[in-house]
Amino acid sequence: MSRSLPTRSLDRRSALRLFGAAGLGLGLAACAGPGGGSSSSATSASSSALATTGDIKGTVSFAHWRAEDKAVIADLIKAYRKKYPDAGVEQDISPSADYQSTALRRIQGSRTGDLFTAFRGAQFEQIVKAGVYAPLTGSDVVGAYQKSLIGPGASKGVQYGLPYQLVFNTPLANTDALDKAGHTGAPTDWDGFLQLLDDLKSKGYTPIAWPGGDSANAGQLLNTMVMNNAPSDDMFTKIESGEYKVTDDWFLTTLKQYGELTPYFQARATGSTTDAVTRLFAGGRAGLLATGSFQMAGVRALGAKFPFDLVAPITTTADKAKYEGVFNTTFILGVNSASDVQPAAYAFLAFLSDPANAGTYANATGQHVTVEGVDYTNADLKAVAPWLTRKTLLAPRFQFLNLDIRTAVENAAVAVVGGKKPAQAAEEAQRVIDQKRA
Amino acid sequence: MTKTVRPIVLTLGALAVVLPLLVVVFGTFKTLPQLFDSPLSPPSSPTLDNYRRAVDEGGLAAAFVNSAIVTAGAVVLTLAVASLAAFFCARVPGRVGWIVFGVLVAGLAVPAQAAIVPQYVLFDRLGLTDSLLGLVLVDTTMTLPTAVFILGGFLRSIPEELYEAAELDGAGPLRVFRSMALPLTRPALATTGIFLFVMDWNDLLYPLLFVRSHEHRTLPLALLDFQGEFLTQYPLLFAGVVIASAPVVVVYVLLQRFFVSGLTAGAVRG
Amino acid sequence: MSSTRSARSRRAARALWWFPVPALALYLFFFAYPTVQAVQYALTDWDGYSATYDNVGLSSFTELATGDDVFRNAAANNLKLTLTVVLAQTALALLLALYLVRTTRASTLLRALFFLPTVLSSVSVAFVWRFVYDPDGGLLNSALRAVGAGSWQSVYLGNPDTAVFWLALTQVWFHVGQMMVVFIAGLQAIPRELYEAADLDGAGRWARFRYVTWPLVAPATGIVVAYTTVQSFKAFDLVLGLGGNPPGPALDLLSTRVYTTFSNNRFGYAAAQSLVFMALIALLTWVQRRAVRRAT
Repeated sequence: MSRSLPTRSLDRRSALRLFGAAGLGLGLAACAGPGGGSSSSATSASSSALATTGDIKGTVSFAHWRAEDKAVIADLIKAYRKKYPDAGVEQDISPSADYQSTALRRIQGSRTGDLFTAFRGAQFEQIVKAGVYAPLTGSDVVGAYQKSLIGPGASKGVQYGLPYQLVFNTPLANTDALDKAGHTGAPTDWDGFLQLLDDLKSKGYTPIAWPGGDSANAGQLLNTMVMNNAPSDDMFTKIESGEYKVTDDWFLTTLKQYGELTPYFQARATGSTTDAVTRLFAGGRAGLLATGSFQMAGVRALGAKFPFDLVAPITTTADKAKYEGVFNTTFILGVNSASDVQPAAYAFLAFLSDPANAGTYANATGQHVTVEGVDYTNADLKAVAPWLTRKTLLAPRFQFLNLDIRTAVENAAVAVVGGKKPAQAAEEAQRVIDQKRA
Repeated sequence: MTKTVRPIVLTLGALAVVLPLLVVVFGTFKTLPQLFDSPLSPPSSPTLDNYRRAVDEGGLAAAFVNSAIVTAGAVVLTLAVASLAAFFCARVPGRVGWIVFGVLVAGLAVPAQAAIVPQYVLFDRLGLTDSLLGLVLVDTTMTLPTAVFILGGFLRSIPEELYEAAELDGAGPLRVFRSMALPLTRPALATTGIFLFVMDWNDLLYPLLFVRSHEHRTLPLALLDFQGEFLTQYPLLFAGVVIASAPVVVVYVLLQRFFVSGLTAGAVRG
Repeated sequence: MSSTRSARSRRAARALWWFPVPALALYLFFFAYPTVQAVQYALTDWDGYSATYDNVGLSSFTELATGDDVFRNAAANNLKLTLTVVLAQTALALLLALYLVRTTRASTLLRALFFLPTVLSSVSVAFVWRFVYDPDGGLLNSALRAVGAGSWQSVYLGNPDTAVFWLALTQVWFHVGQMMVVFIAGLQAIPRELYEAADLDGAGRWARFRYVTWPLVAPATGIVVAYTTVQSFKAFDLVLGLGGNPPGPALDLLSTRVYTTFSNNRFGYAAAQSLVFMALIALLTWVQRRAVRRAT
């Protein structure tokens, strides 16, 4: 019976290699390396050149994770087809958690994703390594973007992808509440920040709404908490490499400051879901929402009428504060090196990069974009647009490549809010880091 | 004392089952603020918006069809394959029958998680990941031990004389199986079938591992995708829960007896 | 005549040997073979994507045993969860079975109701209970406030010391009805005369339970404990739905740990973890079977 089954052809080494290809999809942090299923493509990292010219025809599969953007992208596709009647675009959407883990497997070999998106960090790097990107360096489309914002789409000097979306992982503020508490300007140091929280509290607001029970979003606050405390901008990379420790003074200070924030979070904050705190903030009962600008549209959808701004905790004295907030660019657009319809995929990328179209996308989705010269008509985007030129740091949280280490570090902060001593929380986290560091 | 304790325990128990489910069903007709403000009250201004969004944005319609295909395929295939094997074990006397039975049933002791990665490699090699056929095959494989166990026990309980009489009449094994064993086994098949239906319909592990493209997701996987970073919304989740659970609950209400015996037989196997 | 019959019956007997082939083929090829392969992988340091790997012998197992707090934490959570669920679910299932063993219209209805959660998917149950536990306006805290017990409000899953017990409660809610049915079948098999004899001896309610019900329902108890042990030990979908993916340390279990290790591209190590996981289940089943045998 076993003869009729291809058991024998699966020798050990090729099985292991396949085993690897299999694993690509399993990872949340998704995956480096060779092709899904065909062992011959293993470790081939050479990217073929991008065909930017040629007949713009055929159906482009556009793989992305933003189901909430389906409608506006469909509108843009309609306009694209008007411009290029021989070409079309089909959206292939999987929600973000799924996309994180399965994107590389799906786009490799280009069954889907002639044009595709990637998350910043681990996923992007691994898609680069797998040779799936057709490099964009030198193509016209790169010039449409703000140079300072597309770094996350480049690796070793080559621009592989273009981060399209720009979000601020900086707490969202209800400026009506801030006004009532007597604060018109943002605090510039830690004492000022605590004073703001005190004043909010005395006016009956929950000073900070924080989703401590939702690991995906609880860690957003860590971005701004460490931006000025850390001795360097790649602090989390250095924690993963062992150069820094979470028992170092700067991180202990950060944890202690989390402790000082505890009375200003909503009650039982360590169990709070994003749904609940968003509701609290949208109802006008909280001063700050410690997630980020990506929630503006969601808060509006819940009926909030007050104006927004961003307010970050400045954890140091004013003279030591390098940064006012944190941003992240993600939704990295790239053309598939194995695509049969590269000219059409590239044309759609160029179409999305046109300031007018990018503006359509931005205003409809309530997210900023990295394309230069976009006119924001959405009132919230307009209000926050000044932040595009403020001193902001690329969100450090996404420097983590190892999920266990990220969980350990972020959980230390949650544990301190839950009542654990900072030194103890740090020691426990450092033990895990030491064990998990490769 | 029992006179008073019993009704209290039973009432509390019934409330503990009913309340959360009621809140969920009510919640599907509410907005998020309405849900948080008064979780227990019936929806004051019911909206079908959540169902619409769950189907449109969550892609539940396609997932529903996939789940139906995978479940139907796996249940039928498992019943066919398992009843043949169980018949063999019941009809072949002595050691061989027991060895085959033992080998097949040994799988009950091994948790699925032990083999998932090599399994992934194997299915990928055969082009069976990200395919509904692959899910049918893996679901069939993983539920096979339980099915053989239940059906085997039942077929053994059929008196030997019945088999012998049929064989003396000159019937071959296939005829004995089809025209005698199968009809007699019908209750066991129904019981097993229900067990398989619930297991396959609700399985998350293998779709999570195997399925990569949007169009091949089954319901539990599509549902898990609802809790994305920016997407989580209880009323939407709840609408998804209701859509995914409705078929099982309807069948449960209609065929309650087989459900209870099926899932209990699934448990009693060990 | 007799020779043709025996030829035919031999041919028939041969046909019978084809019957188990599809089942064995599927089972051996798609399940047994990969399970054995897992052992092979566990002895390497393979990272999931490189073309090369080293054989590292048993070092993954040494690391697991001595230098992995995260794994130990998951194992501890698993034990807490399983112990709690086994005790609570078995006791509650038996109590409900005792209350509902007599077939009346009301008890049939209640049995059906208590059984209902079992047919739902774990992901659905997880989502339902996420809202039950939501500390800001979820079902439990809202209900507590509504009855004036606002000071009893809790963070539930947000408290790392107790999160796993709340998970256990959800698991009990999910499956207690299923175990209740096993107990009802066991109770119904107890001959009525034994109770009548006990009544004649003037036994009280407790004595009846202690000397008649408990010993005679023992086979059912064994089944319930065995099944509950394995079922709760393998909880996976429920945790991903309740605790997120990956779950935090408070809700991390061995099954989710294996999955996260895959996610970190440590394939050899993940295979080793899955084998230890399997061995622990086997050990637990064995220990608890002996315990049940001794107790009855």
